[in-house]
Amino acid sequence: MNSNSVNNKGTPSCEFQENLDMLRQIDFFSALPLEVAKVFAYLCTREIFKTGDYLFQQDEDDGQAFYIISGKARLLHKEDGQELIIRDYETGSFFGRLALMGNMPRLFSMIAVTDVTCLTITRQKFLKAINQFPDQMPRIIKAIVETIQAWEKRFLTHRTENCEACMHKIGVSLV
Amino acid sequence: MATTETPIVKRSLFSWIFPGNLKLQGSLLFIIILTVAARLLPLEMQRRIVNEAIKLRSIDLLLIYCGIFLGAVILASGLKYLINVLQTLIAQRTTARLRKGLYRHILNLPLNFFRNTQPGTVVNALTNELTVPGNFVGMAIAAPVTNVMTLLAFAGYLFWLNPLLAAVSLSIYPLVVLLVPLLQKRANRANKKRVDAARKFSSKIAESISGIHEIQGNGAYEFENRKYAGLVDKLLKIRIVWSLYRFGVKQANNFFTGLGPFLVFLLGGYLTIKGQLELGALVAFLSAQEKLYNPWKELIEFYQVYQDGRVNYDRTMEYFDVEPEHEIAPEGRDPLELDGSLEIRDLSFVTENGIRLLDGINFSLKSGEHMALVGFSGSGKSTLALCIGQLYKYTSGHVLIGNSEVSDLTKKDVVNNVGIVAQSPFIFEGTIKENLLYACIAANEGDGSGQDKSLPTLDDMIAVLHQAGIFIDVLRFGLNAIFTPEQNKELISSLLRVRQNFQRGFGENLADYVEFFDEDKYLYYSSVAENLTFGTPTRDAFDVTNLPQNEYFLRYLDESQLTRPLLGLGAQLARQTVDILRNLPPEEVFYEQSPIAPEELDEYKVLVKRLKKTKLHQLSPQDRSKLLELTLRFVPGIHKMVSLPEILENLILEGRALFKEKISAENPEAFTFFQMSQYIHSETILNNIFFGKLKTVSPQAQDKIDTSIVQLLIEEDFLEKIVEIGMDFQVGSRGDKLSGGQRQKLAIARALLKNPRILIMDEATSALDNKSQSRIQNLLETRWKGKSTLIAVVHRLDIIKNYDKVAVMKAGKLGEIGTYDDLIARKGMLYELEFGKQ
Repeated sequence: MNSNSVNNKGTPSCEFQENLDMLRQIDFFSALPLEVAKVFAYLCTREIFKTGDYLFQQDEDDGQAFYIISGKARLLHKEDGQELIIRDYETGSFFGRLALMGNMPRLFSMIAVTDVTCLTITRQKFLKAINQFPDQMPRIIKAIVETIQAWEKRFLTHRTENCEACMHKIGVSLV
Repeated sequence: MATTETPIVKRSLFSWIFPGNLKLQGSLLFIIILTVAARLLPLEMQRRIVNEAIKLRSIDLLLIYCGIFLGAVILASGLKYLINVLQTLIAQRTTARLRKGLYRHILNLPLNFFRNTQPGTVVNALTNELTVPGNFVGMAIAAPVTNVMTLLAFAGYLFWLNPLLAAVSLSIYPLVVLLVPLLQKRANRANKKRVDAARKFSSKIAESISGIHEIQGNGAYEFENRKYAGLVDKLLKIRIVWSLYRFGVKQANNFFTGLGPFLVFLLGGYLTIKGQLELGALVAFLSAQEKLYNPWKELIEFYQVYQDGRVNYDRTMEYFDVEPEHEIAPEGRDPLELDGSLEIRDLSFVTENGIRLLDGINFSLKSGEHMALVGFSGSGKSTLALCIGQLYKYTSGHVLIGNSEVSDLTKKDVVNNVGIVAQSPFIFEGTIKENLLYACIAANEGDGSGQDKSLPTLDDMIAVLHQAGIFIDVLRFGLNAIFTPEQNKELISSLLRVRQNFQRGFGENLADYVEFFDEDKYLYYSSVAENLTFGTPTRDAFDVTNLPQNEYFLRYLDESQLTRPLLGLGAQLARQTVDILRNLPPEEVFYEQSPIAPEELDEYKVLVKRLKKTKLHQLSPQDRSKLLELTLRFVPGIHKMVSLPEILENLILEGRALFKEKISAENPEAFTFFQMSQYIHSETILNNIFFGKLKTVSPQAQDKIDTSIVQLLIEEDFLEKIVEIGMDFQVGSRGDKLSGGQRQKLAIARALLKNPRILIMDEATSALDNKSQSRIQNLLETRWKGKSTLIAVVHRLDIIKNYDKVAVMKAGKLGEIGTYDDLIARKGMLYELEFGKQ
């Protein structure tokens, strides 16, 4: 996308190098050796979403993970025609890990609330690449397990009082 | 039609000799008689030359006899050639007829047969095993008649010369006749084994090739090699034994017939010495005796061909001797137009091994009703659907379509009334259009009925493309097509008009997604070569692939001081790309964003190694040209492993101006420069409308572009034209250039186009995303309900609510049937399927 024009105007590093630097900061990829991380940095693409564009939509199995390079996106859930705003994601967030691992129609939608520039990778590319380095899979799994555990722990610690009803449905880290 | 004839697999090999070859075989017989006479003549001349001409010392006689001799020899070889020609003709025509007949038979065989039969088996049977039987049929008249007649003639001549000598020298042949069949029997046994082994062997090859994904995915090379090697070795052993016996037959024959002259010399010499035989007669006897050898050898060879041919033929026909389950087309009546009602009574389907896949099923549907078939996997829903579609022959009970028993209908009746979308539909190599029309063409084709209905119109086709939700895909194929300069002058001028309107109406909106060709700007989504030339070469010498070797171009690079920086960029590109890709397999995913093609990687690996030790200016001309090639391909917007330095960008822009000046002055014919008023023949229709290139392939950008382009094309009344071009898109072998979803949509469109009374969909939307699935569901409910009866095998339950009936299958039985709401309210099996056990 036109974001690349930025570094074509004479910045010293190329997009590949920038992608690599970003991946090194994402838990999901940071444990991988450089040689493997390079392949992922090469396979990633940048996308721009204009304000109001959907990054992904509920019920669709787009099979991508996103890293927000700049901008803000909002997570929504539609139910019976009602749209519930869940939270916002900002620069530096990474989401969609599970969508990389297997088929998964989205349970939520994500909409750009400003212009958003993302680094994305598709499930197809991710699986093809990780298949070339099967011994890296444990690191990926470990990263996912830790993320899920941390998530639920955070939820349990920070939940508010009026959440008693949902308390009976928690425990996603037990799956 | 074939229905009244004996099926091909029941015909004997001999039945192929005369029918269809009558004229050829007749002419053959006639020529043979001439030949035998022409062969006998030289013998008599030989005798007369020795006995009369030489004895009487008459030159005249000698010349006359020699003349006749020569004439006879020329005639005999000419006729022999003619015999060979006729024989080949018969053999090849018979092989062709065998191949066509067997193929026709095999296509009609029940699906069940193909579960145990690998494609390789069929390929082997049709290509290899039928050639020897064909050869046999070619020889069947010529060889025995010629040779037996020649033999008899010569033998008669021998007896006429000297009965005693003849009797002794011919006494060998009965011995051979006894011995050869003994050996041949063993050869036949080996040949039978060979046919079976060759069949397995071909199956194995076909299996590996179709399963190559799995083999490579699992790295099972050694394992597969071992399996294959085992079969090859087995075939090798059988072939050796077979060949040895065959040679044994030949050798035994040679040995015994070789004894002939020995006997003649012994006895004939004795008789001549004693004065009881003339020398001329002995000479004639000897050459006649020698002449016995060839026809005899040919007879033995013919015998072998007969035996091999018979074994191959019988073995092959035996294998395919399975009855087709249904007649192809009705005799003496038109194919039925059935009413769309369906009644199933006590339907059971038991496999050959006694497994009961369907058990006592009863239900009925009124014409136009829609029914969803659900159930756990293995419950028999697909089997039931296939029984209704006549693809499986049910073993007891009734399936009545419009009150006609399905198992009594011919294929043609069913095909004309029922459309089937299979679970994993097959897409044939060819264009979208050919695949779309497949069912219609087949249904229209007169399998007896004779009258061809007209094919669907373009509008019909476009309508079903819309309905199946593949319209946009086909439109994209059309937009991505490239025209040749000669093609469609008119179309091209209209496209130029579309381009201008696009710029006016949409240019700004899509500026984020499209990079327009602009003479004063660097194009990040075009290659360095295009950035330099800013045009399309019209001469091969200026083609991108030839530019690195083009002296004129290289001189220009030097003049504009681009050579060094471009080589430097090439070196950087090679190093980075090789570093990233060096350990990855040659799959498209990994090479989409690479300037190096998979097959070039090794070459560049070596070059990169050399670059470590060598300075750029020390490189060999070949290496420089390789690096230059890479740079010229470099598209900064796609190949992100290297960035384009600003200095070089400006140099290239200056170089572009210089190039245009230079070419316009020195070689104005070589390029067409990118201009708003010119169609660019090297680019796709879409890029021509854009007058630029897409910057992204992301789905959301694609959606926006589609919407704008469709709107534009509708305004210009051009949409159908582009879709029509898109329908000529070649889908690749098995449709592998289409995605799984596209294949399914195309298969649905194919069935809808046929507009059948009864539509059977066997998990036909399983590969589609939710949107497409519900779109098709909607279509079925609004446009098809009440018109066509639908039986849909459904895996996902979220689309079944609006079906007239839902049938739940469990273990081959119909568990419950009713409307969705009723069944859910009953809290039975559907409830359990939908919500799990409570």
